[in-house]
Amino acid sequence: MSKCKICLLGSFGVGKTSLVARFVRSDFSDKYHTTVGVKIDKKTLAVDGEEAIAMVWDMAGEEDNAPVNLKQLRDASGYLLVVDGTRSSTLDVARSIQDRVETEIGKQPFLLLVNKVDLRESWEIPDSAWEDLAARGWTILETSAKTGEHVEEAFRTLTSRILQARRDAEDADE
Amino acid sequence: MSDDRAIRDLPAALDLAVFERVSDRVFKPLGLLPPWLKLTGSAEETDLADQFPMLEFFLPEFEAAWEPCGPSITSDVWTETDPRGGEQYLQAVAASAGGRRFLVLKTLPPERGKYQQESHDFQLAKLEVERYKLAAERANQAKTDFLATMSHEIRTPLNAIIGMADVLSATELTQEQRRCVEVSQRNGVGLLTLINDILDLSKVESGHVELEATEMDLREVIDRASDVVEQRVTGKGLTLGKAIAPGVPVYLIGDPNRLRQVIINLLGNSIKFTEKGELRVTVETDPEDARPGCLRFAVSDTGIGIPPDKLDSVFESFTQADSSTTRKYGGTGLGLTISKQLVELMGGRIWVESTVGTGSTFFFTVKLSVQQDQSERSRAPARDEKSASAEQNRLAPGMRILLADDSDDNRFLILSYLNKTGAAVDIAEDGDVAVRLFRRNPYDVVLMDVEMPVMDGHAATREIRRFERETGAEPTTVLALTAHAFLDAWEKARESGFTDLLTKPIRKTDLLEALSKYPARSAQPGAPAIPRVTVMVEAGMEDVVPGYLAKRRAEVAVYRQALADGNFETIRMLAHKTKGTGAGYGFPVLTELGAVLEKAAQRRDAGEIRTRTDELAGYLASVELEYTK
Repeated sequence: MSKCKICLLGSFGVGKTSLVARFVRSDFSDKYHTTVGVKIDKKTLAVDGEEAIAMVWDMAGEEDNAPVNLKQLRDASGYLLVVDGTRSSTLDVARSIQDRVETEIGKQPFLLLVNKVDLRESWEIPDSAWEDLAARGWTILETSAKTGEHVEEAFRTLTSRILQARRDAEDADE
Repeated sequence: MSDDRAIRDLPAALDLAVFERVSDRVFKPLGLLPPWLKLTGSAEETDLADQFPMLEFFLPEFEAAWEPCGPSITSDVWTETDPRGGEQYLQAVAASAGGRRFLVLKTLPPERGKYQQESHDFQLAKLEVERYKLAAERANQAKTDFLATMSHEIRTPLNAIIGMADVLSATELTQEQRRCVEVSQRNGVGLLTLINDILDLSKVESGHVELEATEMDLREVIDRASDVVEQRVTGKGLTLGKAIAPGVPVYLIGDPNRLRQVIINLLGNSIKFTEKGELRVTVETDPEDARPGCLRFAVSDTGIGIPPDKLDSVFESFTQADSSTTRKYGGTGLGLTISKQLVELMGGRIWVESTVGTGSTFFFTVKLSVQQDQSERSRAPARDEKSASAEQNRLAPGMRILLADDSDDNRFLILSYLNKTGAAVDIAEDGDVAVRLFRRNPYDVVLMDVEMPVMDGHAATREIRRFERETGAEPTTVLALTAHAFLDAWEKARESGFTDLLTKPIRKTDLLEALSKYPARSAQPGAPAIPRVTVMVEAGMEDVVPGYLAKRRAEVAVYRQALADGNFETIRMLAHKTKGTGAGYGFPVLTELGAVLEKAAQRRDAGEIRTRTDELAGYLASVELEYTK
């Protein structure tokens, strides 16, 4: 069975842990709980007729004086960049992280998740921001860990891309 | 034996789990394991990397630690859920000793998570507060914008209604007609007051009132407040006394308009509820705050008084002591609410003491700054204002006014106000026409509507100011006419170069009072209206003459500044140059004036220089170039 190491990256409080809880345990809590270091969960899922184990690395959120520990992305298969639609600064953080990952680790499959879509009416990031990123080839999904909207889909889409990338690499090797 | 047990139990006692590496991923526990580790038994070998994926990640790095004499290596911190659902923060240390390879798992104190949690909670809460603040500000801005628009929309027709009633009342009317006009005037003004109050209150409540900090004379503030209510006081047969306690500084720094507004509101309130007797305004140093500038005002009356249980509620919106008083005495009760807000903005408080049947005294305190110089020197003219207004708004004879307004109704209204004042009025339908007229003719005052097609009042005024700078002319009084009553309107007007602002609806007395402040410069003897001088530009000189003229125009300001500085050498040099070049460019007048100015500068004759500089400015302003085809 293929193993995929998927890292969740983003500013603190955007809902990374909640997305993992929703994905792995179908759970949600309104109470904010900070992540210390990293917390690793795993879930088996079938994608494109293939069984895969997703090792989900829920990494501590980035804050001003504590950047994410990119060293932990070594051997990662892909990552989910998470943004809180109600806090525009979290998009800046996500862009900065993506930039650093690409420079320090290299290109990897990733998706941008705009979380808290259940609070859409209080989103403060203009739609044009998403259009700009989509134009750069980013895949953007609006998710809600609270309602579960697009959460499973996000993990499945990324896993599928990871497996596809692997198949492509294998084909190239042959 | 017991010593062995003690050694075996030590790691657990220290809350550490110690393992020895058996092979690749398999580790054997040494001694007892602490309870947070959900391993069973103590002797079993186990695949730790399987149990802790974080270790799997760190194994390759740990290899270096397990080399003989390798340095110990510590992993990153990670979180594990323990069997009871709680969280453990773990860290692994790899080390070797005596050829044996060890791995130690340790827990970090729960405080580690607690501090981070508190820090994040705090930052998120702060963001939440900022978000609410922003939402509230947006809502407030929307409210203010709405009010500004409404204020404009309501004031414009009111302008016409009240103005026409004023015009009508100045014509010959039958008794019945006069009564009708008076009712119309009174109600129009009443409605205007009400709108102003509501706007004022919402401005204060939405934090849109910004207090000025300008120099003011306390006596003047009180005098002007009492002037406003004088007619109502004498009309009811009351008297009004004013007193400033000895030792109270009168030259202060604050917002005279807002202070006056509070006094007028309180006086208006007192007049309303007093049938006979006396009103008094007194000012003394705040007995509870002796710092200079901390003042306590008292407005007392001999009116009906307020029952003790209503003393507090009179400052609430739309509240009078008894709802039936509204019907009997009129008013909205907003005046006191506004006064309370304004007084609080000025760092003070307001309250009332009263005895039913005897009268009420409204007290308020304010914290103002005191001007350093409290002497009366060089201030005398400021106190003449009352006598000036007593002259009943007489306009300076021969005043020339430029009226720019796109609305027929407004132009007709202003013209009828100015009828019989002896003022000569030119009309412009938009800002562009106004600027063109201004360039051609000297005016004492420009009345400029702010919102006009083609070129609005702001742009036109900026254009006028630019023209004045270029020609070195003294700034002409330009009064903005606007239905926007908000403070922003005045700030914007000031930025554009307006001298002052008249808020529509403009009443006849207000307009005449405003105009009476300004002299008729253009009609002063010795300063005849500037005739147009057309100068033919010689062929081939088209490119240089306008620039030459512009430079001379710019120089006028330099002459004036040099004169003020007593710098006669600069004047002599400039004049000498003008003398030498004027005729060559086709301006013999400039050569003549240059010669006169040069001599005057040599004599250090300031009077002559001033006169000739004015003449020079006048000539430069009047010159029009004509090009030979």
